[in-house]
Amino acid sequence: MLKHLFILIWNKKKQNSLLLTEVLVSFLVLFAVFTLLVFNYRNYSKPRGFEYSNVWVANFNNDLGTTNGDSAAMFYDNLRRNMLSLPQVKAVCFTNANTPFSGNTSQTGFPYKGKDVRSINYYLAEDSYKDALQLHLLEGRWFAKNEGAAKNKPIVINNKLKTELFGTGKALGQLVGDDKNQMQVIGVVEDGKYTNEYMPAGKAMYVRPDTSEYHWMGTAMIRVAPGSDAAFEGRLYKLMANTMKNANIEITHLEDKRKSANNTTLVPVIILGTVSGFLIINVALGLFGVLWYNINKRRGEIGLRRAVGATGNGISGQLVAESLLLATLALLVGIFFAIQFPLLNVLDLPTGVYLWALLFAIVFIYALVLVCSLYPGKQAAAIYPAVALHED
Amino acid sequence: MIRLRNIEKIYRTDTVETLALNSISLDIAKGEFLSIMGPSGCGKSTLLNIMGLLDTPSNGQVQIDDQATTALSDKQLAHFRNRKIGFIFQSYHLINDLKVLDNVELPMLYRNSSAGERKQLATEALEKVGLSNRIKHFPKQLSGGQKQRVAIARAIVGKPEIILADEPTGNLDSAMGNEIMDILLELNKTDGTTIVMVTHDENMARKTHRLVRLFDGTQVQ
Repeated sequence: MLKHLFILIWNKKKQNSLLLTEVLVSFLVLFAVFTLLVFNYRNYSKPRGFEYSNVWVANFNNDLGTTNGDSAAMFYDNLRRNMLSLPQVKAVCFTNANTPFSGNTSQTGFPYKGKDVRSINYYLAEDSYKDALQLHLLEGRWFAKNEGAAKNKPIVINNKLKTELFGTGKALGQLVGDDKNQMQVIGVVEDGKYTNEYMPAGKAMYVRPDTSEYHWMGTAMIRVAPGSDAAFEGRLYKLMANTMKNANIEITHLEDKRKSANNTTLVPVIILGTVSGFLIINVALGLFGVLWYNINKRRGEIGLRRAVGATGNGISGQLVAESLLLATLALLVGIFFAIQFPLLNVLDLPTGVYLWALLFAIVFIYALVLVCSLYPGKQAAAIYPAVALHED
Repeated sequence: MIRLRNIEKIYRTDTVETLALNSISLDIAKGEFLSIMGPSGCGKSTLLNIMGLLDTPSNGQVQIDDQATTALSDKQLAHFRNRKIGFIFQSYHLINDLKVLDNVELPMLYRNSSAGERKQLATEALEKVGLSNRIKHFPKQLSGGQKQRVAIARAIVGKPEIILADEPTGNLDSAMGNEIMDILLELNKTDGTTIVMVTHDENMARKTHRLVRLFDGTQVQ
């Protein structure tokens, strides 16, 4: 029967070309949408790597009035102590502007075993940085007070950078960088999704700032007690403003920044999903219409098939099978194009994302065609053979 | 072979009730070639459809091979039609998108025969009607007479015991019509196939074993 249906479809290829094109275009659109959805979902389902709740971010433009690093360090140490004296403040760290969900990045690179490792997110991380963000330490340790005496600059890296540099090998104690500026890995933390929760974590290294770097710091991350309110925010603002005269201070909550950062990914996905949803509805109506028209055009053939031995259900099954076979032909062409994406690594996404998207798009198309052909198929099964044969 | 008892067919609409067949009783013996004649609208095709289990009577009994067909399910009826009955129609009812061979194979498809067996039987049937050189043609490439011969090949491919022909020569000129009639007579004579033919042509009807005349749904001869 399958061969018979294939012959029937092949001999009607001209009439079927519109339907084939519709299914092919729908498949490609669905493949794109599902690729995006699978990619975002996979990223979302991975651990965030830090805790955003009850973390406030204070940005300021502080003119320290000194170029002396030690004085600057002392200033910030004093400010930290004042802030920590407030009972709601649990941890304070000063850093540069690339805090989570800020949209700011600071990247660096270094050589390792003859390989130039690039696009590494660079975070200035004080000793309290880990507590402020509650980073999850996987191996080794975080920075301690006596790091300044170390021969090689200590760094903490994230798991992604560790995998790229050392694979499954040992990371702790390894030296990276060139001869003049060697750094030693002292710890490995879980990957942190700093862009937003739908984007993958990048490679990251955390470096303890030395006193010369305090000039560049314009951000404080403050972990506060749960339930800290606007009144407390006002007191905190006042304290900072009193310490940093003439500075512009802005306090935001990481929770709000997270929502806003997530929206930068979610909104385009929702727009694309809505547009493709309308497209799919149109395609479904088109499919339904074409199948309905075909059945009315083929009433004589249906009557004949009933006369020579087909049951009503057999007719219905044949029409559904024909539609599914047509969909299969369109899908084979579609899969040929879709499979080029992982083969040629077009968008630099993991192969698994494409394979899942391919699977979802195929299942969706089959379900769509099945749903659209069931009712016309059922109507065809109800055609009375004597009437259909008489009409033709 | 075919026994009809008190067959009535009534077509009902909201306002009108039309009696298409009125108490028809008929016995058709195995190997008989029967023709049915009558004016247009007298119920000839309706009677043939009821015999072919394509339609159900409003009242009465249809027995084929001593089996009552009234209570058969859709699946059983389909099986019955496929095994026992071959149909020939005035307008051929060939599938234009299938080649001649595929058209003839059609009844065997519903018997789940193997591709090889289907091809062999279809080729033999086409040889019987003198069209073995047209197996790769599409129906549109054939004349009316050739199309009807393809339809006959399709009707006989499964070696049914009964052939029901609804005005098989109605769309053909007399020469072509005679050719088709000769094939049907030959099938009846050599294979012993029971044939029931609806016709308007007295000459064709005279060639058959028996003639039944209908008028306004009633058997008058």
